[in-house]
Amino acid sequence: MDDQHNETIKQAPLLEARNLTKVYEDGVKALDNLQLKVHPGEIFAMLGGNGAGKTTTINIFLDFIQPTSGNAFINGVDVNKDPLEAKKNVAFVSENVQLYPNFTAIQNVDFFVRLGGKSNYKRNDYEAALLRVGLQREAFDKKLKDFSKGMRQKCGIAIAILKDAPAILLDEPTSGLDPKAGKEFTRLVGELRDEGKAILMSTHDIFRAKEIADHVGILNAGVLVAQKTYNELKGVNLENLYVEYMAGYMEEATGSLINSLAE
Amino acid sequence: MLSLLIQKELKNILLSPKFAATFLVCSVLILISIFIGINEYENAVRQFEANQQIAQQDIAQASSWGQVRNIAHREPTPMQIFVSGIHFDVGRLSGISSFDDVKLVRSPYSDETLFAIFRVIDFAFIVQIVLSLFAILFTYDAINGERENGTLKLAFANSVSRVNYLFAKFAGIWLGLIIPLLIPILIGLLLLLVFKVPVGADEWMSISGLIGLSVLYVTFFIGIGILVSALTRKSSLSFLLLLVIWIGSVLILPRMGVMAAGQIVPTESIAQLEAKQEAFQKARWDQYSAELSDIWRSREAEMEGMDENERRAYRDDKEWEWLEKDDVLRKKVQSDIIENNRTLMEESRNRKKVQEKLAFNIARLSPVSSFRLAAMNLAGTDIDLKNRYEQSMRIYKDDFTQFVEKKQEEDGGHGGFRISVDSESGVQLDFGRNDQTLDTSDMPRYSAPKTSLQTSIASSIPDFGLLGLFILLAFGGSFIAFLRYDMR
Ligand SMILES: Nc1ncnc2c1ncn2[C@@H]1O[C@H](COP(=O)(O)OP(=O)(O)O)[C@@H](O)[C@H]1O
Ligand SMILES: [Mg+2]
Repeated sequence: MDDQHNETIKQAPLLEARNLTKVYEDGVKALDNLQLKVHPGEIFAMLGGNGAGKTTTINIFLDFIQPTSGNAFINGVDVNKDPLEAKKNVAFVSENVQLYPNFTAIQNVDFFVRLGGKSNYKRNDYEAALLRVGLQREAFDKKLKDFSKGMRQKCGIAIAILKDAPAILLDEPTSGLDPKAGKEFTRLVGELRDEGKAILMSTHDIFRAKEIADHVGILNAGVLVAQKTYNELKGVNLENLYVEYMAGYMEEATGSLINSLAE
Repeated sequence: MLSLLIQKELKNILLSPKFAATFLVCSVLILISIFIGINEYENAVRQFEANQQIAQQDIAQASSWGQVRNIAHREPTPMQIFVSGIHFDVGRLSGISSFDDVKLVRSPYSDETLFAIFRVIDFAFIVQIVLSLFAILFTYDAINGERENGTLKLAFANSVSRVNYLFAKFAGIWLGLIIPLLIPILIGLLLLLVFKVPVGADEWMSISGLIGLSVLYVTFFIGIGILVSALTRKSSLSFLLLLVIWIGSVLILPRMGVMAAGQIVPTESIAQLEAKQEAFQKARWDQYSAELSDIWRSREAEMEGMDENERRAYRDDKEWEWLEKDDVLRKKVQSDIIENNRTLMEESRNRKKVQEKLAFNIARLSPVSSFRLAAMNLAGTDIDLKNRYEQSMRIYKDDFTQFVEKKQEEDGGHGGFRISVDSESGVQLDFGRNDQTLDTSDMPRYSAPKTSLQTSIASSIPDFGLLGLFILLAFGGSFIAFLRYDMR
């Protein structure tokens, strides 16, 4: 009992999903009794195809939707009970970062970082962060409406870095990026992990997950069908594992697609 | 946090490309309307003064007091620069004579029909139509636009309370729209000073009230814009909905009020009223002649059995008594008719008042009506403008008629001329002093009815209150909607 208690203190997860179940109003069960923990200095990759429930999980962590049952905790705070307190400790980068089109990169970063509770930064700090994420200096004072998706993702991760929250949620942050940008992004995420952040990242990119994740969870139709650590993954052919677990899902999907086409 | 959010809204508005264009259009419109209003007012004043002078000369040159055709003129007010109200539709003058009732004729629009086609665009009109559209244009996507953009999600990934966020939205948009709008308005007020428009303390108060009212009105449309954008997911839908709401509240509801009231409380036209009055008049005279023939029959009966001489003697004896009796009877008929005309008129007027009240109250379902009514009340160009003038002109008419009667008595004779029969020169008509002009120095002058600032403010307070209520409803509604808003 006492031992267990000590262990939970020692290994207190920054992000935790406890029995998370989400059934949408139209009856779709997007999450089924999901359990996961992300500790400081860890990257947890949620691997799953379209509609697996990745975005649903992250939306619950951000209190954008309420779980049907179960709880999500950030730094031990139940998101549903005290969202404002919980969200102090999390930064978020969506799969398609959107900022104010009439503001410059610096103005956008300034606004969202201040909104995140950090108001002591100077322009230098913003520039340093933007350079770190690989944005060209010429773009700093350009309006966001002229930015490409890659540039916007960079701004998004710069905002997350500057918010300096202990936990980070990334929802398919590299989807739609060219390979080079994707690689750079992955490198940044690795750096953040090394700084001690707890990172929950959703992706459908097996290779990227294998590259940097400390834990990989395969999500299929709302069920976490497998969870492997980095060490466990070493000897495993993740592609095969993924395909194996996804097979059922794929069949279902193609089946329903054929059905819908037949109709 | 709050000030950060407010600053962001302000910046977002001021930096948006549509802002510069719409702000420029609104400013130019406001300034032009005030400038044209000042011109229009100055013309009206010149015309008013010239007409008064002409009327004065006409009186002085009349051959006798009995010949005098007096005219009372409606005085322009500087407030018509901002709210023309019914100023252009009400007659500018009325003849003042003992024979005819006061009736305002020759409205500015009837004199210059071109203006009636493209009606005058005054400040109140610009606020009512243009600024409300302006407010909608900047609020229709206040919430759902940020959702579509994805910025709502990014913002609420932080420790931000929804109440603060929405409050900042209101405050930021409000400051971002109202402050820029106050600039052309204040410049417009400077124009009043530059052109030396005679604006007194009371008028300044009314103008301040009008600006406050306009701010409330625009605030309402900001509120309704944010409400609808917090009730919908797509900005294309909220824009459409707001356009429908705008058309309904600005163009349809106010008119519906008038139409519905016309159905519920029908009133008669002037022609119908006159027909009724004439019918009574005819019936009354018919009754009178019937009574008269009865009386004469009874008088004949009294003389029955008399011979011709006796009859004559009897008639001579009774003549005055009979004449007096007949006169009383005739006077009774006349007073009955006047009395009846008055009651019918009163009834008609009261019914109109009821209809008016009902029309306004139905129209007030739209805050646009409240704005219009309060604006006209503040400016004194409200629906009662005509009544106020006609009433004061009637009082003046009585004064003037008395004065003329007195003058005529002084000059001797009735109707302004003296008949003298002379054996040498025969019959002479003397129209008084037709070689000289009349001395009009002590003639009573007409002065415009003054509504006190207090009454005009008091009559606009209910509409201020209603506007405030509508604003509270819009704001309260948007808070409720946003607390349940799905951020995704
Ligand atoms: N608002 C919603 N209403 C109903 N069903 C939804 C809603 N959002 C997502 N879903 C469904 O829930 C499942 C999981 O969706 P999501 O979490 O977005 O998947 P992923 O992000 O892994 O692609 C899908 O079947 C999707 O169709
Ligand atoms: Mg997703």
